[in-house]
Amino acid sequence: MYKIAQHLAWLSIWRRKTRSLMVIMMIGLSLGGLLGLQGLYDGMISHLINTTIRSDSGEISVYAKEYRLQKSLDYRLLAISKYEEVFSKIEGIDAYSIRLEQEGLIATAHKSLGAILKGIYLDQEQNFGQLSSFTIQGEYSFGKENTGSLIGSALAKKLNLSLGSRVIFTAQDASGEINSISFRITGILKTGNPSIDDSSVFVSIEQMSKFLNLQQSATQLALRVKDSKQIRIIQKELQTLFGDVDVLRWDELYPLLIQMQELINIFNLASYAIVFIVAALGIFGVMLVSVLERMREFSIMLAIGTPYKMVRDQILLEASFLGFIGYMAGAFLGWLLLWYMSTVGIDMRSFEAGLELYGYSAVMYANMHLYYFVQAFFAVFFATLLSVIWPLLKLKKIKPIQIIQGKTV
Amino acid sequence: MKLSHICKTFYPDSPKEIKALKDINLSFEKGEFTTLSGESGSGKTTLLNIIGGLDAATSGKIFFEGEEISAYSEEKMAKLRLNHIGFIFQAYNLIQVLTVRENIGFIMRLLKFDEVAINARILELASILQIEDILDKLPSELSGGQQQRVAVARAVASRPKLILADEPTANLDSKNSERLMQMLRTLNEKEQVTVIFASHDRYVLEQSKRVIVLSDGAVVEDH
Ligand SMILES: Nc1ncnc2c1ncn2[C@@H]1O[C@H](COP(=O)(O)OP(=O)(O)O)[C@@H](O)[C@H]1O
Ligand SMILES: [Mg+2]
Repeated sequence: MYKIAQHLAWLSIWRRKTRSLMVIMMIGLSLGGLLGLQGLYDGMISHLINTTIRSDSGEISVYAKEYRLQKSLDYRLLAISKYEEVFSKIEGIDAYSIRLEQEGLIATAHKSLGAILKGIYLDQEQNFGQLSSFTIQGEYSFGKENTGSLIGSALAKKLNLSLGSRVIFTAQDASGEINSISFRITGILKTGNPSIDDSSVFVSIEQMSKFLNLQQSATQLALRVKDSKQIRIIQKELQTLFGDVDVLRWDELYPLLIQMQELINIFNLASYAIVFIVAALGIFGVMLVSVLERMREFSIMLAIGTPYKMVRDQILLEASFLGFIGYMAGAFLGWLLLWYMSTVGIDMRSFEAGLELYGYSAVMYANMHLYYFVQAFFAVFFATLLSVIWPLLKLKKIKPIQIIQGKTV
Repeated sequence: MKLSHICKTFYPDSPKEIKALKDINLSFEKGEFTTLSGESGSGKTTLLNIIGGLDAATSGKIFFEGEEISAYSEEKMAKLRLNHIGFIFQAYNLIQVLTVRENIGFIMRLLKFDEVAINARILELASILQIEDILDKLPSELSGGQQQRVAVARAVASRPKLILADEPTANLDSKNSERLMQMLRTLNEKEQVTVIFASHDRYVLEQSKRVIVLSDGAVVEDH
């Protein structure tokens, strides 16, 4: 009996090629587009998180208590070698970077602006997050005498600075004295992290320590973790080892990123609702028309004794088949899009001006996960089921003989 | 097959009330070739539908092989139709996506006949009904006369006890009507299948062994 239903379903699809193709395309195109978008949004947010982690927070950062509120050197980390020793002993820590920073005023002959001066080790930062890859002008170096500086691209633009320009930075040192230091620009960085690009200048930590009259001090110790599943464990471990300091994860330091991620998830969910509706309406329309059109035929079948169950199976199979082929077409199209966008990427240079603000880089890459395809499968599956319920109910309600005699339709 | 005090009222207790059948008492023997005749609106179709379980009587009882079937559930009725009753309607009897061969085999397959038996039966009927050369065509490629002969083949294929045919010749020209009736008569004699028509067609009446005339929902003649 099931075999007969199957045969009838297959013939019905095959003999109505144009219509079947239309539904398949409708489902396929909307699903393919959706999968592409989902991967792209995911890719954008991962990129943003990745940039932030690489250029600043690491997976975990250590600060002295109160420092993040007061931004004062009074609240700095001391005896840094003690921390370094611990880091080198913890297996899960991949790299770390010692930073000493102070807010102040950066000035050229024409203009001055508030900025943050950050003392770093270039080799450490390279290890930590490949800072050199963000260099857009000049070189990743502080020059022969170790007295040069790397400046954020937006800040350089605001101050009209170019390579070789000289600037003066003025700030309070550890004892509260106002000091000035002057240096040349050896490189310009563009990270995509606005807190760096808009207001940061990097100098060697030796220069910085001298300028602030400090030794063995840091304001931030940022860590990279080998396995992201270990972040919380390592955070806890460090907190117990170091005691009275702030040990914070990237998502605690940048809660906005998590909010964005959640927003994207909601957006993706809404997109699924749309595909769901498109697929459901597509199959629904086709199934309804094709059931109504064959009402007489189904009535004859029922009248001569065909069980309702068989007619129902036929219709269910027709819809499932359309849904499944539509899904396959969509999954393939989506996979193709995602494959392209995740390997070749999309060149955003033409839109860059607008996107820069949010920290996107010139080429965006999509993510691709198996679960996109699983989610999509269930969306289409349920849409298909839903779309045949009404036609089936209609069929169940009719009196075959009335249709055969043309009394009602 | 026996009908006892069958009444059918459409729109009961409303101003539009139609008493389509009034106290019908009839019985049919095995191998009968009978026509329900009468003017249009006399109740032929209504009676045939009630006999075939496609419609329920308002009152009265129907017995099939001694068993009362008037109170059967929808599902039980469908099973009875599938197993024991063949239907031929006025037109468009066939399943459009199936070939002639598959249409004829449809009920036999639902009844899980053996494939060899199905194919033999198809060929046998195709020969009697002269449709051998169109077995692999689709219904849309056939003439009206050919379609009705295929419908007959499907109705009799599983050797049901009863064939019900409502105006089977209404859409056919005289030549095709005559041919169809001759073939049905042949089958009736060869296979002892009981056939009941609802028709006022000359060709149908000519071939019938028994004619029951209805008028205004009542039997007025039976010979
Ligand atoms: N489904 C129905 N609903 C309402 N009235 C009906 C229905 N079927 C038949 N009738 C009425 O019952 C009477 C008998 O109809 P029918 O059995 O079709 O006559 P015949 O087949 O002899 O032409 C007619 O008056 C017709 O209008
Ligand atoms: Mg009639």
